[in-house]
Amino acid sequence: MDSIPALTIEDVANIDGVLQDYLQKSESDLSVVIDKGGNVISQYGDLDVMDVTIIAALAAGSFAATKELARRIGEVEFNALYHQGNGSHIFMNSVDDDTIMITVFGGQTTVGLVRFYSTGAAAGLANVLRRLRDKNNPGFQFDKADIAEARIAG
Amino acid sequence: MSIINYASKEIQFKIVYYGPALCGKTTNLAYIHSRINPENRGDLVSLATAADRTLFFDFLPLNAVVIKGFKTKFQLYTVPGQVIYNATRQLVLRSVDGIVFVADSQWEKMEENVESFRNLEENLAKQNISLDDIPCVLQYNKRDLPNVAPVNYLEFLLNNRKRRVQTYEVISSTGKNVFAALNAVAQLLLHKFSRDNDLAARPQTQPVAVPSRP
Repeated sequence: MDSIPALTIEDVANIDGVLQDYLQKSESDLSVVIDKGGNVISQYGDLDVMDVTIIAALAAGSFAATKELARRIGEVEFNALYHQGNGSHIFMNSVDDDTIMITVFGGQTTVGLVRFYSTGAAAGLANVLRRLRDKNNPGFQFDKADIAEARIAG
Repeated sequence: MSIINYASKEIQFKIVYYGPALCGKTTNLAYIHSRINPENRGDLVSLATAADRTLFFDFLPLNAVVIKGFKTKFQLYTVPGQVIYNATRQLVLRSVDGIVFVADSQWEKMEENVESFRNLEENLAKQNISLDDIPCVLQYNKRDLPNVAPVNYLEFLLNNRKRRVQTYEVISSTGKNVFAALNAVAQLLLHKFSRDNDLAARPQTQPVAVPSRP
């Protein structure tokens, strides 16, 4: 898996720019960009509704779980998945080999509109992420003393 | 694969609890969930069968400590222990940063422990990760049961490698040493993360050839 060394403020602004435009056009509520390991890369939209980290973990699992199903019909994997609810729905599509974009939307829009605009948004995100992966790691360090004090308390 | 986000000042790490079926991986996460302040954790998500066997994975997000102004977020996963779910274990291990291997201390579970440990090595190798390179701690769980193997024997079976890892005698049902093991792996992966991202310490070019010893 190609790793993303670090997301700078500028990188996040670039990703958010693509997501903001996509959410406006598709009239969706929330979009989350994750890697296929379930880590959140960026998120934009109505974040108060749900725990994004849990959505990310489950979406990555859901995407991977259908890989075998895709293989049975001669596909490497499905490029997009749609989960339809009564009022809220989730649409997921591949951005590149390592990244997935999740869109949460309600009755104010349609899956067709979301699907239509998601293609352009995924291409825009893939460009941003490619540049990001090609960049040098800006470097980061903790002090040993800081780490020693970092305890998860129970 | 940890991700540093300078905009939200967060770093995410993924820790996977690995081990044979019914060794107490889910019990570890349930205990951690019960003892962490709700402000610092999300819900414990379990994808289990009706008989409470883990089918896919359990997941618990923790907002841990702030270091140098960066909030560290740990995402704890378990794998399904049953042998047939190997594809799921490979999926959960994707972009893992640290491992807690949970061994069942009961005599009759030794073969399953060894099998699961080998399976962990194989599945990491498929991601080009060596167990020697990834932060890992060992839990010898269920130490309160009457039919447990001595720690020396477990060490011989599971911790007999060139690089020996930290081990903990754990009773996950009461929480004994559950946090000690979690903190140990968290410390190991924070040190590794800091080392890996220390540009000053990293050689700029790799040597073409290293002279052999005379």
